[in-house]
Amino acid sequence: MSIPSYATHNPRANCRSSAYLDWLQMLSGACLVIFMIMHLFFVGSVIISPSLMNGLSDVFEWTGMAQIGGPVIFFLLLLHFVLAARKIPFASKQQGIMLADARRMHHLDTWLWVIQAVSGMVILVMGSIHLWTVLTDLPITAEKNAMRLRDSAGWVSFYVVFIPIVWLHTGIGFYRIMVKWGVVGIDGRSSLRQKDALVVAAAMIIGFATLLRFIFLSK
Amino acid sequence: MARTLTFSIFRYNPQDPASVPHMQEFRLEETESMTLFIALNRLREEQDHSLQFDFCCRAAICGACAMVINGRPGLACHSKTKDYPDKITLMPLPVFKLIGDLSVDTGTWFRGMAKRVESWCHTKKIFDPTAQEERMDNALAERIYELDRCVECGCCVAACGTALMRDDFLGAVALNRVARFVLDPRDERSEQDYFDIIGTDEGVFGCMGLLGCQDVCPKSLPLQEVLGKLRLKMAFAAANHLLPRFLRREIKL
Ligand code: HEM
Ligand code: SF4
Ligand code: SF4
Ligand code: FES
Repeated sequence: MSIPSYATHNPRANCRSSAYLDWLQMLSGACLVIFMIMHLFFVGSVIISPSLMNGLSDVFEWTGMAQIGGPVIFFLLLLHFVLAARKIPFASKQQGIMLADARRMHHLDTWLWVIQAVSGMVILVMGSIHLWTVLTDLPITAEKNAMRLRDSAGWVSFYVVFIPIVWLHTGIGFYRIMVKWGVVGIDGRSSLRQKDALVVAAAMIIGFATLLRFIFLSK
Repeated sequence: MARTLTFSIFRYNPQDPASVPHMQEFRLEETESMTLFIALNRLREEQDHSLQFDFCCRAAICGACAMVINGRPGLACHSKTKDYPDKITLMPLPVFKLIGDLSVDTGTWFRGMAKRVESWCHTKKIFDPTAQEERMDNALAERIYELDRCVECGCCVAACGTALMRDDFLGAVALNRVARFVLDPRDERSEQDYFDIIGTDEGVFGCMGLLGCQDVCPKSLPLQEVLGKLRLKMAFAAANHLLPRFLRREIKL
């Protein structure tokens, strides 16, 4: 057992908190991934028909999922941010070391981490704006979304930036869970990366198609 | 056609107050099956006797010759010049103390690591020199050997963004070492004992899964799998007492 560098009444030098926090970091990320996939199908249903989306929205409203689930997701996002941010270096010297390492080594996985840390910060801000706007204007309907987007180039550009960033982060996060937790072995890694990239690309396409559908939704 | 290689080599002698860190260029004709080991020795013999670098076995078993080759840590004796472009940049390994030019002191770091993870078999059995040696299942012996092939070169540490950022991080080599003893039935340490060593943010939970270690290890150790399973094992070791019975797991490495 390692000898503690300061005296405490606790005979054990270590505790379980690092393990719990790592569990929570992974689980909060995994829940958000699942949420993102459900979210994709929910808003994506507008491509098929706005009334389908409104129908789904009604179900969420009646069952209270929108009123309760929305804030829960907000909370999860914040929790995940706090936990994951422990891994992001705060000191610029350390950030520089990480960037220099990725650049020097031409190492894809180190770059993926850098992308994840940066995209995570962007999602924190943009995701909060998005959630606030939607949740303070319940119920969610295709028409309200369409109104917001049609009248404002600002909102359109907001989502043009937000959609790819969210999916990059979600895709990399999923890959990271698989390799960090030993789900995928050494041989499976590159094929996982390829399949992951395909799914992310598909999600982005559906995301943009949804956006276009909202913009061109006739009254 | 033989190429003329350009070597850009880090030069600095910390012993000499007049020395400043800089890159020095050398030119050398490439020969058949040339390794960086051969190239560096020729440079020292033919061009600059003061060039410092380490070698011992020249066969990728002592781990002494690790350096940063065109940005990636690797063993110089194990790297053929034909796999590199005309220009080859050589830097000493980061993290470890610089002795001079390309030579670093990995020994002190590795000794500290071995002490931190108590890299020896913990047993209460008294050794009996007259008794027959206990037998071990061959498949298990091979699995332990697979992790024991580590040559302590330090490449995995030098490639790890986490280890570069945080000098208290144990690094893949230390976690791999612990895994080796977890597998070994002669070591009587309990899961809690192992948890106390690596179940922290300086240990397996600090690893961010960047997999630089896996991608540079010159002995191709299965570091990704070792780290993944260790994380799972330690995570369950911490959480099992909170989980309902059907979710509890004893992870085998
Ligand atoms: C749509 C919302 C989000 C989703 C779906 C998501 C998903 C994930 C997943 C699955 C992981 C892998 C977890 C792990 O390695 O244990 C992860 C990691 C990470 N997330 Fe998020 N995340 C979201 C929002 C955020 C936000 C707001 C931040 C704010 C900074 C953030 C920062 C990070 C960082 C830095 C990591 C890397 C942690 C590490 O390498 O250990 N994420 N995310
Ligand atoms: S997986 Fe990454 S963070 Fe973990 S030890 Fe290897 S290089 Fe370091
Ligand atoms: S694990 Fe591989 S890279 Fe790391 S010290 Fe051992 S041999 Fe070198
Ligand atoms: S000289 Fe021994 S590993 Fe290269």
